[in-house]
Amino acid sequence: MRATLPCIARALALTLALRAGAGEAAEAVGTLDPATRSLQREVAQLRRERELSAGKSFYLRLDAPEQRLALMLQGITLDDYATSGLEVGVPEILFVDRRPRADWDTRPISHGRLEPARQRDRLEVLAPAASAAPAAEASPSPPPVAKSAEEAFSVPSPYRIVFAEGISLEVISRGEGRRNRGFARRLGDAIGLRLSDLGTALGFASKDRVRLRVTLEAEDAASLYRSLPPDVELVVAGLEAR
Amino acid sequence: MSEAVAIAVQALRALRSRLAAAWTRRPVRIGAGALALAALALAGTGWDFEPVPPRDPAAAGARPAAREAVRLAGERERLQAALRRRVPRGAWIVIDQTHNRLRLMRGDATLLEAPCSAGSGMVLKEGAAGRVWVFDTPRGRFEVLSKTEDPVWKKPDWAFVEEGEPIPKDPADRLEYGSLGEYALYFGNGYMIHGTLYERLLGRPVSHGCIRLGREPLRLVYRTAPLGTPVYIY
Repeated sequence: MRATLPCIARALALTLALRAGAGEAAEAVGTLDPATRSLQREVAQLRRERELSAGKSFYLRLDAPEQRLALMLQGITLDDYATSGLEVGVPEILFVDRRPRADWDTRPISHGRLEPARQRDRLEVLAPAASAAPAAEASPSPPPVAKSAEEAFSVPSPYRIVFAEGISLEVISRGEGRRNRGFARRLGDAIGLRLSDLGTALGFASKDRVRLRVTLEAEDAASLYRSLPPDVELVVAGLEAR
Repeated sequence: MSEAVAIAVQALRALRSRLAAAWTRRPVRIGAGALALAALALAGTGWDFEPVPPRDPAAAGARPAAREAVRLAGERERLQAALRRRVPRGAWIVIDQTHNRLRLMRGDATLLEAPCSAGSGMVLKEGAAGRVWVFDTPRGRFEVLSKTEDPVWKKPDWAFVEEGEPIPKDPADRLEYGSLGEYALYFGNGYMIHGTLYERLLGRPVSHGCIRLGREPLRLVYRTAPLGTPVYIY
């Protein structure tokens, strides 16, 4: 008992000190003017981008002020798309928003996966039995022709890139070519997405906390869907706090 | 506390009996009301979106005044400069294996954009031995490790298996001349950028993982890309 009391007292003192420290930090942040806070946020986003550019993962860079979405690797822009609309969404229940933590866009956003997933049907070839005599052809036989990406994957609209940290990027196609799936599949996609919306808003389906919605030209949206590498990361640049 | 619970339970019971009575008298109105409430709840449950405006050019040029803001602005510039330095100053190559396009760059300038052929993604299965090959082009950052004129292809096992030919014991029997075109640029693990006998198939994914390029674009890439040139494949 005699040994326990000082421990409790120390823990209490430490808790009080931490609370006081947190209060000071909050006060320090609170005293910054909006322009400086915005700059602070931008710097944090840039630090995150520098970290990503030093790694080996592919990442998407969403530039909010310039309204562009780029696929990047080690600071190199591999592909770049102009967005014709950018929105930030939060889940709401009975008209009440569920706000994410303020610094969500300065933290790692990783393991992006497509929803609906991209199904790749690989052509399987069984090798012919080996014969002792070499083939009598004068030139090598032409290779079998696999399906191109356009032939292999139809692209849903909208589709999402869902990240592990509860952030998702919804891509909406506009313009010609956005309806490249049959009516039944589009209806299925729409119902599935609406149910998924309700589920995520209520917290049943996933831990989605923020959804970034971008509108791309149909060709760009399709290109991104078809070429998105697995486990892509995301960095958001220049997005103001809501 | 228990009194409050008792009051609440009583109130709920009274509400239930009133609703039951109302339901008996006006079932259509009560049903419609319940449906309207449910629709309202559904309408207010989902996602609430707010548009993000594009950059305001007037705000972009504003100079920070506070000391902390000046420090942050300095750090922002340093970070932006560090990110800009990631772009190679010399030549670099980008390969989009989904659309089978190759871009040759120098700094920010595009020197060439040409159709190529990346891996077909096909799976080759060998009957008896049970070996399996997947003809994918790898993704990521690579470098030109070596360059060859008039490259000779040392055919791997799968090339014989695919043709139904026996795998030769003499390594000299694996050599094939002319099928890789005039030049080859190796970027590791047996993968290379090389020419092709099937130029009409450029733009389609037909290779076994290498990048095939047409004669003229290959000449320019060979001339422009020294050893160590970064190759980004996605």
